[in-house]
Amino acid sequence: MNISFQIKNKLTELVTLHAHLKNMQDDWAISKKTAAQINLVLDELVTNIIEHGDSENEHIIEIDLARTDCEFSIVITDDGPPFDPTLRTPPDTTLPVEERQCGGLGIHLVRNLCSHCNYVRANNKNILTLKKNLQEKCS
Amino acid sequence: MQLTRESVQNKPMETTITQKSDATIFSLCGRLDSNSAPQFEKQVQDFLASPGTHLVFDFDNLDYISSAGLRVILNAAKAYKASPYNFIACSMQDHVLEVFEISGFDTFITIHPSIDDSLSALKE
Repeated sequence: MNISFQIKNKLTELVTLHAHLKNMQDDWAISKKTAAQINLVLDELVTNIIEHGDSENEHIIEIDLARTDCEFSIVITDDGPPFDPTLRTPPDTTLPVEERQCGGLGIHLVRNLCSHCNYVRANNKNILTLKKNLQEKCS
Repeated sequence: MQLTRESVQNKPMETTITQKSDATIFSLCGRLDSNSAPQFEKQVQDFLASPGTHLVFDFDNLDYISSAGLRVILNAAKAYKASPYNFIACSMQDHVLEVFEISGFDTFITIHPSIDDSLSALKE
C-alpha cells in the first residue's frame, strides 16, 4: 500500500496533512496510537521545513507513505534551501525543569518514534527517509 | 485519496477554564500543535505571569500534542516551579502520555490518571 500527496509550506497545511493521515488510518487499518505517532513524526518534520525554510516563497512539500506488514516508510521531499534536521543536537531530557530548553524536542521525538532516519540533498531537494516498525503486526 | 469537506475543516483546539476554590482547571479539547499553540499560550499567559492558584491541565479530550504544544507546557511548569503553587496534569491518552515520557516531561510534571485524583492530591 502506498500514497503520495503534496502540501504547501504553510502551517495551516498541517490540517490537510492530518486529514490525509486520518483517511490513511481508516483505509490501511492502522491503530490509533501508531497513526498518532506517524502524524507526530510528519508534523514535526514538516513544521521544521516550513519554519526553517524559505517562507517568502511558496514551496511544495511532497509526502510519500508506504506500508508493508511489518514496516511503515515515509519520504518527505521539498525544494527549499538545504536543511538537515538530523544534525540538530538532541536535548538533555534528564535536566531539571529550570534548565530544560524547548529546542530540538521535535527531532528528538522523531528519532524515538522511528527506527531509521536519513537525510540526503539531491537534485536541489531535501529528501528525508524514515522507517517505523509496525510492532502490532510483527510481534 | 479524496478528502471530505468535513475532514479538512480547520478546527482549533478548544479550551475550557474552570475556577475551583484553590485551583484553575484548563480542559483541553482537540489538537495542540503549531497551529493552536500560539492561541493556547495567550490563554495561559496571565496565569503564568503571577500564579494565584494551583493550575491543572486536564488532557482528557486532547487527541494530539506536538513539540509546539510541549513548549507551552514547559513554560507553565517553569513558571509554577518558581511559585508557591502546584502545576499538575491529568487524564492523558496513551499516545499523549508517550510524548511526555519521551520528552522527559514526566520527570518534572506530576501526571494523575483523572481530574479527581489531581484535585484530591491538591487538598492533601
